[in-house]
Amino acid sequence: MAIAWHIDADPARLVRGLPWMWGFIRRMVPPDLGVLPAALKGAVGTIEIALLGTGLAATLAIPLGFLSARNVAPPVLYYTVRTALNFFRSIDTLVYALLFVAAVGLGPFPGMLAVVAYTTTSLAKLYSETIEGIDPGPVDAIRATGSTQLQVLRFGILPQVLPLFLSYVLYRFESNVRAATVLGFVGAGGLGLYLQTYLRMIDYPAASTVLLVTVAMVMAVDFASARIRARLV
Amino acid sequence: MIEIRALRVVMPPDTVALHGVDLVVKPGEFVVIIGRSGAGKTTFLRSINRLVEPTAGTVRVAGQLVTGADPGALRQIRRQIGMIFQQFNLVRRASVLDNVLAGRLGYVPEWPSLVGRFPEPDRALARECLAQVGLAEFADRRADTLSGGEQQRVAIARALAQEPRVILGDEPTASLDPALADSIMGILGRINRERHLTLVVSQHQLETALDHGTRIVGFRAGRIVFDGPPAAVSPDVVRSVYGEAAA
Repeated sequence: MAIAWHIDADPARLVRGLPWMWGFIRRMVPPDLGVLPAALKGAVGTIEIALLGTGLAATLAIPLGFLSARNVAPPVLYYTVRTALNFFRSIDTLVYALLFVAAVGLGPFPGMLAVVAYTTTSLAKLYSETIEGIDPGPVDAIRATGSTQLQVLRFGILPQVLPLFLSYVLYRFESNVRAATVLGFVGAGGLGLYLQTYLRMIDYPAASTVLLVTVAMVMAVDFASARIRARLV
Repeated sequence: MIEIRALRVVMPPDTVALHGVDLVVKPGEFVVIIGRSGAGKTTFLRSINRLVEPTAGTVRVAGQLVTGADPGALRQIRRQIGMIFQQFNLVRRASVLDNVLAGRLGYVPEWPSLVGRFPEPDRALARECLAQVGLAEFADRRADTLSGGEQQRVAIARALAQEPRVILGDEPTASLDPALADSIMGILGRINRERHLTLVVSQHQLETALDHGTRIVGFRAGRIVFDGPPAAVSPDVVRSVYGEAAA
């Protein structure tokens, strides 16, 4: 109750707002399909940001994942890397986007950098937890053959974790497609840029086309990625 | 072949797993270690190739000092010691042949091996070892599609691929039914006789131990309480190893 009061929660205000929302939705139909080519171009941009960003992050996170796994990394490295990752992971993609837009200017490039920054830390965390959960048996067996550390990593650990890594990467890719949609609002390219532009121009039919394309895109990506993941695990 | 002096292992914080154990294993012996769970059998075996770090004492294998060896020297020694495990410890998603090839990792050039490239002679040797355990036609199957007994035979092939002087077995038949257990011990016995390989294998099934071993070593509470030929294992010995309840 105290919190509800603190955040000014007021059901009456929501009820009073309903007719306005209804009007908003009514002005969005019918969608203006004339902007469909522009919206599709935005969708391609969004997917490109997510694809490249997730791909780079998936690679960068591999060494970080091993360095922050308790059963693999030396204690000093483990605590240092884990603390650094926790720090950077507490910053959201959108905040990174603001930073990178300020640093490198507008466009898809800062958007991709933002995706890389957040996804690397979140994947590193998932990777390290996967590594900590492996079966130590095959690792012992490979060590017992007189293998080097790298060979133990490659033959004892990697085969156990790689399918799960790929599954996490696909999951992050799905989330990043959604995240990259919003990135346009802060000037970091993709579909969000179109949505924000049309809303500012009070062109609701055009904005609704962009929204429909967004929904279709996210659903298509989720569907495809879920099917691939089902085959992996 | 194996020379162990005053081997003491303390597990953190202060559990004493082995209290100063001495044992000398001659070339070609098939030593079977018996004892209750927690008697120190696993710790003892894993100390020989330093999968467990001994607290004190010395271990020598084929004349080389295992305890205190630097990482490079330790790898050289380890590749001469094959090891098989209760849970087989194969890489489940890898093919049977790749699992056997892992036995060559201590010999092949490191960097090519990391991308899965093994010299042809090593591949041939791996196939030969697989044939010796009767699984030649399983080479391309995924390891986890095999039955338990077959997986343990793959693990034996992996150990053989190391061209070892010694094979250690940590309860290699404890996850198998009695008939399979006997056949696995039989394969180990054949390897022992035909290749004159030195074997040290722990075994919780007393009859199986007596059937296959050339020498029986009994552990109790981190100490050796019996050491002699199978024929010398009397009811008194069984009592001293397993406690009063067993007799």
